[in-house]
Amino acid sequence: QHYPPLRALQASAALRRVSDEHKKEPLTSSSQQHFDSPPAGHQPEQKPQGPRPSYTGQGGQESEDYESEEQLQHRILTAALEFVPEHGWTAEAIAEGAKTLGLSVAAAGMFHSDGSELILHFVSECNSKLSELLQKEQKLVQLGEAEKKPIDEFLRDAVEARLRMLIPYIEKWPQALSILLLPRNIPSSLNLLTSMIDDIWHYAGDQSTDFNWYTRRAVLTGIYNTTELVMMQDSSPGFEDTWRFLENRVADAMTMSNTASQVQSTGEAVVQGLMGAAVTVSNAETSRAVR
Amino acid sequence: VPGGGAPLRLCSTRVAQDGINKPVIDRIIRVDHAGEYGANRIYAGQMAVLGRSSVGPVIQQMWNQEKDHLKKFNELMVAYRVRPTVLLPFWNVAGFVLGAGSALLGKKGAMACTVAVEESISEHYNNQIRTLIEEDPEKYKELLQVIKQFRDDEQEHHDIGLEHDAEATPAYSVLKTAIQLGCKAAIFLSERI
Repeated sequence: QHYPPLRALQASAALRRVSDEHKKEPLTSSSQQHFDSPPAGHQPEQKPQGPRPSYTGQGGQESEDYESEEQLQHRILTAALEFVPEHGWTAEAIAEGAKTLGLSVAAAGMFHSDGSELILHFVSECNSKLSELLQKEQKLVQLGEAEKKPIDEFLRDAVEARLRMLIPYIEKWPQALSILLLPRNIPSSLNLLTSMIDDIWHYAGDQSTDFNWYTRRAVLTGIYNTTELVMMQDSSPGFEDTWRFLENRVADAMTMSNTASQVQSTGEAVVQGLMGAAVTVSNAETSRAVR
Repeated sequence: VPGGGAPLRLCSTRVAQDGINKPVIDRIIRVDHAGEYGANRIYAGQMAVLGRSSVGPVIQQMWNQEKDHLKKFNELMVAYRVRPTVLLPFWNVAGFVLGAGSALLGKKGAMACTVAVEESISEHYNNQIRTLIEEDPEKYKELLQVIKQFRDDEQEHHDIGLEHDAEATPAYSVLKTAIQLGCKAAIFLSERI
């Protein structure tokens, strides 16, 4: 899927306006792992039509200020998020974002017109932020500076933290949800959803290696999705109705799992009882036969 | 052509344990975990039928080793954050039925089943060892050690099976082929789902 660097450079060069004022610090998050050279500090605008940086074919040595197409897209989308509350998840928002980076509005042409990539980018960023947050919390607990939360509280807090990231974009989020459900986007959006849920369970301390692995993730996915939908309709101050809904759903899940384990132990006890009864009866029969 | 943009590679939230080939390791651990789980259930089935017979202690000992193997893979699964196969409940039942079924054919039948399964598993472990060595023997040193050890254990079980007259089972080759086909299918599926 990776376009050759030559084409990427041509595309980038065509879009760059030679302007020194727009050397803004890129707003990338710190946890991107796909990028070899951090975009911070590099100055693309200083190479107008000049000689292309030398590179050796198959992803070999690339000069330090070389920016891949992917990194450029990432920067544009991050910048575009600022304009989403006003323009929605659209090519206009992307165009505005490109403008703030000193690029031509034609940069929006790199993306689909329905804003899919912008939304997926946003979800990915939110998931990364959540991951970082959970990791930090885990470190604090490991260092003994914080108490380990009980599971229901942990899940509640994690889902709440993640949903709160939607608040600045809440007006336009229903639109985003429907775009995420387009068949074209389903593999990516499902992938992002499942890895987020898996992350939450991992940091919650889940170590199941049997079918519970699936049950737990399915239940949490259900909780997350329903809470998200409730949040869309919620007009209470500070979304308190949503958080109460979340609390109830998590409590339900805990009850369900307790009930399930109770049913299992009751079942086992009943079986033991029946076996005992069977042995007793057979002993009684044997002793009667002997008499 | 709408947009015509390059497909965006999205950042996964999963922190890759630096530099390991996650998809390959995922598959390896998932299928091995499923295999040890299945082996456990097979021996459980055999013990249910032959537990009180003369080969009971032999089967019990092999079963104990499989339990250790499973424990190790449970640990590795958590450490590498690998998803278990969805088919676990199915292997639970299928393994037990295979074990009990082969044991109902008699002691030799149970041993034949053991020979067939352990041969499949040894070959499978050898393939994995080759894969890992091709990838990077240094990076996967610990995993390689575990798999080599387990392969040796399974080979030992295979030899024990042969010692206990597995080959004298009626329809031995048919039984063996059928079981090994089943193992191949199980391995194929568990790697993927």
